[in-house]
Amino acid sequence: MQSILNLLIKYNHWFLFTLLEGISIVLLLFFNNYHSAVFFTSANGIAGNIYSMITDVEGYFNLKDENMRLVEHNRLLSEELQAMGKELSAYKDSTMLAGNGFVAANRGNFTFGTAKVINGSLNRVNNFITIDKGSSDGVTTEMGVFNEQGVVGIVRQTSENFAIVLPLLNSKSMISCRVKGSNSFCTLKWDGTELQHSYLIDLPRYALFEQGDTVVTSGFSSIFPAGIPVGEIQNLEDSDDGMFYRAKVKLYVNFSSIDNLFIVGHKKKNEQEILEESMNKEK
Amino acid sequence: MTRSTLINIRNFTLVLLAQVLVFSRIHLFGYATACIYLIFILKLPRHTSLNALLLWGFTAGIVVDMFCNTPGMNAAAATAMAFARNMFLATFTHKGLPDDFIPGAKSIKWGGYLVYSLMCILLFFTILFLLELFTAGHILPLLISIAGSTLLTMLFVIVTECFSFSK
Repeated sequence: MQSILNLLIKYNHWFLFTLLEGISIVLLLFFNNYHSAVFFTSANGIAGNIYSMITDVEGYFNLKDENMRLVEHNRLLSEELQAMGKELSAYKDSTMLAGNGFVAANRGNFTFGTAKVINGSLNRVNNFITIDKGSSDGVTTEMGVFNEQGVVGIVRQTSENFAIVLPLLNSKSMISCRVKGSNSFCTLKWDGTELQHSYLIDLPRYALFEQGDTVVTSGFSSIFPAGIPVGEIQNLEDSDDGMFYRAKVKLYVNFSSIDNLFIVGHKKKNEQEILEESMNKEK
Repeated sequence: MTRSTLINIRNFTLVLLAQVLVFSRIHLFGYATACIYLIFILKLPRHTSLNALLLWGFTAGIVVDMFCNTPGMNAAAATAMAFARNMFLATFTHKGLPDDFIPGAKSIKWGGYLVYSLMCILLFFTILFLLELFTAGHILPLLISIAGSTLLTMLFVIVTECFSFSK
């Protein structure tokens, strides 16, 4: 007994070293699906508040650019409104159809909110963005995040006042997409290298695509409504196993200057998920 | 609590604030990031107990992790560096030094201090970027990142040492 105690005392720093490294590795491994790990991220109270203070100060330096972008966005929106008005008057005759149309019903299924970026990284293989809205503002995990340029990412973790977004620029992010003008859908996944490009990894071979085709969200995953722009196809190549095409996509969102974001949530998401899950169980 | 502990806590807070608010946000050419908080561990006195070194390293790492959304990565690397520090330092210790000296250009000469810092920092970044590769990544950018970040941090080690040397 004495000799065991002596051994413990003699090598106590080895035990401390192993313990600390063990804690680090556990944090590293369980960060992704371990929700209480939120304390060790920038969504915790202290880090989040310090970051939002800094962002308040930094915000002043970007006001000019931000204003320019808002003015531009306003201009686009009013143009769109005009176009919509014209289109609407053209359809006035078939009011019956427009009145109970599928579009109106679909829009009612989603709720929209806004948020501001308070911290983010771009240089890693797994990047994250911290935003200033959390569970107290109704933000939950698996909500979609986009801005006026296109899709930004998906909410990964929330604390009371902050949330962490898994952007497209994260090797773990996967988003269900569709090439505009075709019905086949595919998955968007980042390979960890270039900031403005991502890849569609499973384009079916029978479908025809061209350079410059627009990629939009498919709406299948109940995270994003269908039709939010993602990017445009730059070139096509064979996938590693030759079963699919792999397309390089230029992303519309400029991740180095994102600031104001929209958050979208599906009102009947739970219902859809429970239904899909019960289906999986039956198999 | 002794005076030296209070000074350590003050330095710790200052260097970590600078790290998370300024240096962690600078990514030179997308590859090199300076980890100046390592200087704090490098400069702890020679006879700081190994357990204290480990705890300082781990705490510094976990705080940086909290702010950078990399739970465990910095903590693991900084703990390992703190563990190896005294072994590296022993290589450059010679007789005639006071018992509890602070590692620096004054005590172990410029050459000794630079090689000692380089070994520690290289070890730190190798572990850090290997852990990042372990989650997902590519080999070549990894090597560039290790080399770039080590050189950039060494630059700050030299600059800080020049200031404290001239005093």
